[in-house]
Amino acid sequence: MSALEGRRVLLVEDESLVAMLAEDMLVDLGCDVTVAMRLDKALAHARNGSFDLAVLDVNLGAQRSYPIADVLFERGVRFLFATGYGFAGLEQAYRTIPVVQKPYRLEQMQDILIHVMTCTMRPRKDAPADAGCGCRPAMSGALRFQAEGFA
Amino acid sequence: MPSSRQSVQSTAEASAPLASLRRSGQLFETERRLNAVLNNASVSIFLMDDRQHCVYMNRAAEKLTGFTLDEVLARDCPLHDVVHHTYPDGRPFPLQDCAIDRAFPENNQERGEEVFVHKSGHFYPVGFTASPIRDDTAKIIGTIIEVRDISEEKAAAERQRLLINELNHRVKNTLATVQSIAAQTFRGKTDAAVRRVFDERMLALSDAHNVLVADNWESASLWSVVERALAPHASAEVDSDRFKLSGPDARLHPKIAVTLSMALHELMTNASKYGALSVPEGRVAVAWSVRHEDAGSGQLELHWQERGGPVVVAPVRTGFGSRLIERQLPMEFDGSAEIVYEPAGVACRLQIPLTELGWHGQETATLQGAP
Repeated sequence: MSALEGRRVLLVEDESLVAMLAEDMLVDLGCDVTVAMRLDKALAHARNGSFDLAVLDVNLGAQRSYPIADVLFERGVRFLFATGYGFAGLEQAYRTIPVVQKPYRLEQMQDILIHVMTCTMRPRKDAPADAGCGCRPAMSGALRFQAEGFA
Repeated sequence: MPSSRQSVQSTAEASAPLASLRRSGQLFETERRLNAVLNNASVSIFLMDDRQHCVYMNRAAEKLTGFTLDEVLARDCPLHDVVHHTYPDGRPFPLQDCAIDRAFPENNQERGEEVFVHKSGHFYPVGFTASPIRDDTAKIIGTIIEVRDISEEKAAAERQRLLINELNHRVKNTLATVQSIAAQTFRGKTDAAVRRVFDERMLALSDAHNVLVADNWESASLWSVVERALAPHASAEVDSDRFKLSGPDARLHPKIAVTLSMALHELMTNASKYGALSVPEGRVAVAWSVRHEDAGSGQLELHWQERGGPVVVAPVRTGFGSRLIERQLPMEFDGSAEIVYEPAGVACRLQIPLTELGWHGQETATLQGAP
């Protein structure tokens, strides 16, 4: 049984076809997935729903998903960002949050979700860039490479 | 005391030169201020007389053209012959063809873009506004010309054009590459019918992007989206009555254009496999309306209706098409979608709010400011 079995995951992704792929991956990992494709809907879920984890696409059309991240910080929900730009695509205040590099891959998604779920260190907003969690080397190769690029 | 009397007597006469002295003092002050304004302005300003000779230019104008006012005055010729005498291709540019100088003879304000020649010989693009100036009797006695160097703007526009060309090229190429990778990867390992479904979806995605390319990725025509989505089937048909399209054109946001294209493609595919387009006498009507609300927004209602096909049986399993249309599309655009498997023919009703066009989205300001 996957470590992610039965976890409630909020998936925020604004492109229909991409959202279908990411949702299928999370379902294959055993997660109980709630999908939101618009900032307003995602914010409502983040405020009112109960989740173990969240996957936030950074770019939601012309908007960014940072307001959702702020709600999740407040509510203590662990999350990660998804972007095609890696850490470089993140605003400074959020640079210590783990990132999955798009396009989505099942193994990468699984590794980082398990890491986010089990890590003892809780990322904060506005943390210094080197205050990211110490378990970063345990992450997949592609991610470690990017993390080092911004150390 | 003659002197004191004289001074009293002469008060009236003495006040005249005093007033004129005060006036000249005021004039001096006014001139000083005007010069401060003109010489600190970043826009170049030229004052031309009725012979199109330049009689004044500010400091920005001297910097722009490379000539000092004294040099221009010494040339004793129309300003055009000093700064605008040659086309960039080397042909001479006669004064009578010049739009800037037309502000005077044609008695109205002229605006536009031209290319000037610097004192050093190089060409530079400028934006200008030329306005006639009049005397007390409304007679035109000269022209005031404001000029800006627009090299930076031109270079930025050119960079943007190159980027958009590159974007078009990359997107098309990437889609073609994905198609090729799929072909290589699944050769001999996948059912040919499955491969065809994949290829057709890639083609639909590629077509949707063609509509966007036509308008620099800013928006897409609703008509083009519908026509392109139906084209693969419509072109193969001899009977042009098979499709009935009706509705007004509208501009669609790129995201709506792509998802709607894919949705229509899925409806089409289903119709040609199992529905009205699987038999020669089947018909498809696509009708839509756009209800305009406040500036830039509105509501699109689109109705797909099949007739004359085999008796419809609702599918037992939710496929890609119905998932995309009934689940994703409403979530992506905050609209609604319903596919009805009526025995007489499949019907689909879509409601999509049309948001503001362009790259700057609808709710950014209000939502990001929300607590």
